[in-house]
Amino acid sequence: MLIEVKNDIEEINRVRHIVQDFCKSRMVSDKKFHDIIIIFDEIITNIIKYAYQDDQNHTFVVHMDKDNDRVIISFIDDGIAFDPLEKVDPDTQSLSIEERPIGGLGIFLVKQLADVVKYSRIGKQNRLDVTVAL
Amino acid sequence: MEIKTLSQDGVTIVTPVGRVDTSTAKAFEDGVMASISACNKIAIRFDEIDYMSSAGLRVVLMAGKKLSAIKGELVLINMPEKIFSVFKTSGFDKIIKICQTFEESKQFFN
Repeated sequence: MLIEVKNDIEEINRVRHIVQDFCKSRMVSDKKFHDIIIIFDEIITNIIKYAYQDDQNHTFVVHMDKDNDRVIISFIDDGIAFDPLEKVDPDTQSLSIEERPIGGLGIFLVKQLADVVKYSRIGKQNRLDVTVAL
Repeated sequence: MEIKTLSQDGVTIVTPVGRVDTSTAKAFEDGVMASISACNKIAIRFDEIDYMSSAGLRVVLMAGKKLSAIKGELVLINMPEKIFSVFKTSGFDKIIKICQTFEESKQFFN
């Protein structure tokens, strides 16, 4: 399935409905749907907020497919080069509440919820392939 | 998004309803921060939300920091398993109290 997404934060609601229909019609469990919807939220938010540095309208695409035991999602945008996997994981275990920095958890959550996350820069496109085992 | 608040036994219970994502996190933040400015004992109840992304975690951490700074107390209550797993993954279970019920949380509010 191909989803076209505009760089507008209100798109998250529309995309969520599409993903929900996709998961329901393919018998994806509630727990996995929950993980997938968080992954969508985090990555789409990142693209909308950071990929495009002008004030123009842009559209990026998401491919989503399911086979027997996994859901494969590819996020493809033509924004500035950005490899989210280069970001160092936050210290989630040893800091006090005063020491914990605010933010920086989005990509970390994606890496924890997904089974494989792969980034590639192809020409002028960022491509993030996310696999969720069912 | 809808956010319900209830004052009970000197504690303000904040209940977000629906989803806490990037598009609704600001309303959640405003609701929680308004409650903190009126009361330093806050319980956030999670059984009426479907899911929460890092945008919501950010608000909970901000609330925890704020209450810690003013010697208040934050306890998270009635958290469904799928929401708890996101908190645990983020290590928030180590820095913020989480209780099954409001009754159970009362021990932390003196």
